[in-house]
Amino acid sequence: MSAILEVQNVTRRFTGLIAVNDVSFALQPKQILGVIGPNGAGKTTLISLISGTLPPSSGDILFEGTSMAGVPAYRRARLGIGRTFQIMRPFPGLSVLDNVAVGALFGHGGGDAKLAKAREQARAQLDFVGLGKNVDQRADELGGPGRKRLELAKALAMQPKVLLCDEVMAGLNHVEIDEVIDVIRKVRDEGISILVIEHVIKAIKSLSDRLLVLHHGEKIADGEPEAVLSNPAVVEAYLGKRRA
Amino acid sequence: MDLLAQILLNGILLGGLYAVMALGLALVWGVLNIVNLAHGSFIMLGAYVSWHLYTYLHIDPFLGLPITAVVMFGVGYALQRGLLNLIVRAPMFNTLLITFGIDVVLTYLAQMAFSADFRTINPSYAGNSIQLGVVVLPLARLLAFGVAIVLTVGMWLFLLHTRLGRAIRATAQNLVAARLYGVEPRHLYAMTFGIGIALAGAAGGLYGTVSQINPYIGGALTAKSFAIGIIGGLDNPLGVIVGGLALGIVESLAVLYIGATFADVASFSVLVLVLIVRPSGLLGRTA
Amino acid sequence: MTALRTALILIALAVLAAVPWFGSDVLVQFGINMLLLAVLAQGWNIIGGYTGYASFGNSVFYGLGSYGVGIAMVQWELPFAVGLVFGVVLSVVFAVLLGIPVLRLRGHYFAIATLALALVMAAIVSNVKLAGQNIGLVLPPLNNDVLFYESALGLLVVATLTIFWLSRSRFGFGLIAIRENEEGAAVMGVNTTLYKVLAFALSGVFSALAGGIHAYWVTFIDPESAFDISLNVKMIIMAVFGGPGTVLGPIVGAFSLSAISEFLSSEVTNIAGLFFGLVVVAAVVLMPRGLADVVRRFRKTGWRYFAENIRANRL
Repeated sequence: MSAILEVQNVTRRFTGLIAVNDVSFALQPKQILGVIGPNGAGKTTLISLISGTLPPSSGDILFEGTSMAGVPAYRRARLGIGRTFQIMRPFPGLSVLDNVAVGALFGHGGGDAKLAKAREQARAQLDFVGLGKNVDQRADELGGPGRKRLELAKALAMQPKVLLCDEVMAGLNHVEIDEVIDVIRKVRDEGISILVIEHVIKAIKSLSDRLLVLHHGEKIADGEPEAVLSNPAVVEAYLGKRRA
Repeated sequence: MDLLAQILLNGILLGGLYAVMALGLALVWGVLNIVNLAHGSFIMLGAYVSWHLYTYLHIDPFLGLPITAVVMFGVGYALQRGLLNLIVRAPMFNTLLITFGIDVVLTYLAQMAFSADFRTINPSYAGNSIQLGVVVLPLARLLAFGVAIVLTVGMWLFLLHTRLGRAIRATAQNLVAARLYGVEPRHLYAMTFGIGIALAGAAGGLYGTVSQINPYIGGALTAKSFAIGIIGGLDNPLGVIVGGLALGIVESLAVLYIGATFADVASFSVLVLVLIVRPSGLLGRTA
Repeated sequence: MTALRTALILIALAVLAAVPWFGSDVLVQFGINMLLLAVLAQGWNIIGGYTGYASFGNSVFYGLGSYGVGIAMVQWELPFAVGLVFGVVLSVVFAVLLGIPVLRLRGHYFAIATLALALVMAAIVSNVKLAGQNIGLVLPPLNNDVLFYESALGLLVVATLTIFWLSRSRFGFGLIAIRENEEGAAVMGVNTTLYKVLAFALSGVFSALAGGIHAYWVTFIDPESAFDISLNVKMIIMAVFGGPGTVLGPIVGAFSLSAISEFLSSEVTNIAGLFFGLVVVAAVVLMPRGLADVVRRFRKTGWRYFAENIRANRL
């Protein structure tokens, strides 16, 4: 079974800082891969590298076997790489419905040219994530949890093959977290491979098929969630950081 | 060769004056995020204030600069406190529009108050010049250059070493942090804008000694100030000196080698190039 | 779009079209100017209102359109229509070549870059022999104000219909997404560079056509008037005053500001310009989102609308 997404020896440098250092891993089709690590470990940078917002300093990223070197963000989106943003980026002046409609208009395969059809698809996605009642609100009127769901709906409207989720559970209570876990599982059942960055360890433990741990931009563990979480190096990364 | 040296020197002297013109604009833009399309009109007003001081009170334009500066400071402070503070948090585009409106108002007020006649400030020593080897230094321009450098360096020191200056710089970064310096934001904004306009007024006073003034010079001076600010970079007052000198020299050379009509083409082409290649300016921090 | 609104618009259109038959010559001339300014405002609306890139250089396209007609008719003795096409071609080429580097800039840097381009173009054209250099060109006269009036009106209708199409098309949505959040738009599949350049070129097309019509109407062009910088501020103020990013806003802005300006200069000549400036200042403070927004919100909030605007934006 060939991986749908392969990250090969990817490094990203900023002046005076190496954010991601020689990281390699593979995401299998219909797999949920969790990525954890202390703050500043390079997780969001990694997602930006995969989605195309940032170019790598070295290394390559393969999507469905094809190299993404030099492929701009918008084209990766149309090929099927979708992402949500940790610092949410709605289109503030547009309604919730139209926010998602943009995804339907421009997503996978170039999207659909008809606005009416795009709005229909948007409605379906919003129902899927549980925002069916908020379709006509202005996007900037939604509260925190609502915005997280909107981010998801926007990414889903693009009909991605791979979904990159950046901290969709931050700031949610137990009940809301369980709801999000349900939604993500449903997304995977639709055939989408998912990479989830999270801080909430309990949630990601039950959600992920595999777990990846980043620390100071390097991969320090990759495997079954149970095994990874009891790995002494991983424990030290979290505790050691607190001591320092 | 002698001609080249003279032209370069002219360019440098001109550049000093240009730097002062742009200094106020850069301060207000860099700190308050206010893009002041009326900047040139404030220079024009400063020139008229100096002219009135000279013509009716017989105060030497160079010695009277502090008075002009204080008057213009008052104008700027009042304008910011009374009007501009009302739209500070609106999209930046709105400051462009409102300052355009202010520019129109100032130009018409000046036209009504001072008529459209050309005026100059001509102290008796203005025609003198100093001979320095092969080059001739017109005294008025030399004095203007000197004052310009003093003002610019003074501005730099003020921002770096005084409490108010540091508060102003802090405001550019973070309004909350500025509060920690114990200065009330509305007052601080008004002070900053006041200083910016005072500088524009002083530049106007200097400008009046080397060139003619009328109510309509504002537009061209605004354009020049923008060019200088951007070329030099808005982060650093010294960048304005670099920008001013660069523009002064480019213009003087262009007049010599290509012709006077191309002077403007040259300076604005440089502006476009800088914007495309290095938007933060020659001396600015890269984004 | 309710049936009532459509009916009202059609009636207004019919009235406008009929003006040359019941209005005075002066009114027709005022009308031509007003209509062309409205076209410029709508053109700006595409790049500034919908895409969020406030161009201060659309006067370049206006000038290129003027000179396209001028050069074609005077130097090459081609018909007016060919001249218009020539002007449009020049504008599109300019928009693409210079748009690509300049559209990489954001916010006020973009505004200043376009302003600088406008200044450079004015200076360059005044040195080009084919364009008559500083002296300008004199076009063959055509004494038919009615024809020019209806052409200007027709152009405005086309421009407005284009914007109407824009507001409900995939392209338009892409532009709006760019305006609201450019990085977010890119990540969702919008080819931002292509769309920005297209929007810039499209706004240039309308500005060029307006310039071409104006040139033939006044039968004389020179660099200073064709590349008049103040046109930029006029079209922006009209679009913003009326409501940027809306279909009818710029038209409302252009019509109302032209009327105010005309009224002031006939009644209070001396201080007309002064009042205009004061109106602009007051408008930015009290109604920063334009007339369209006032109309929409006034019903709900009444006079408090203005106070709320100030409270939201003050330090």
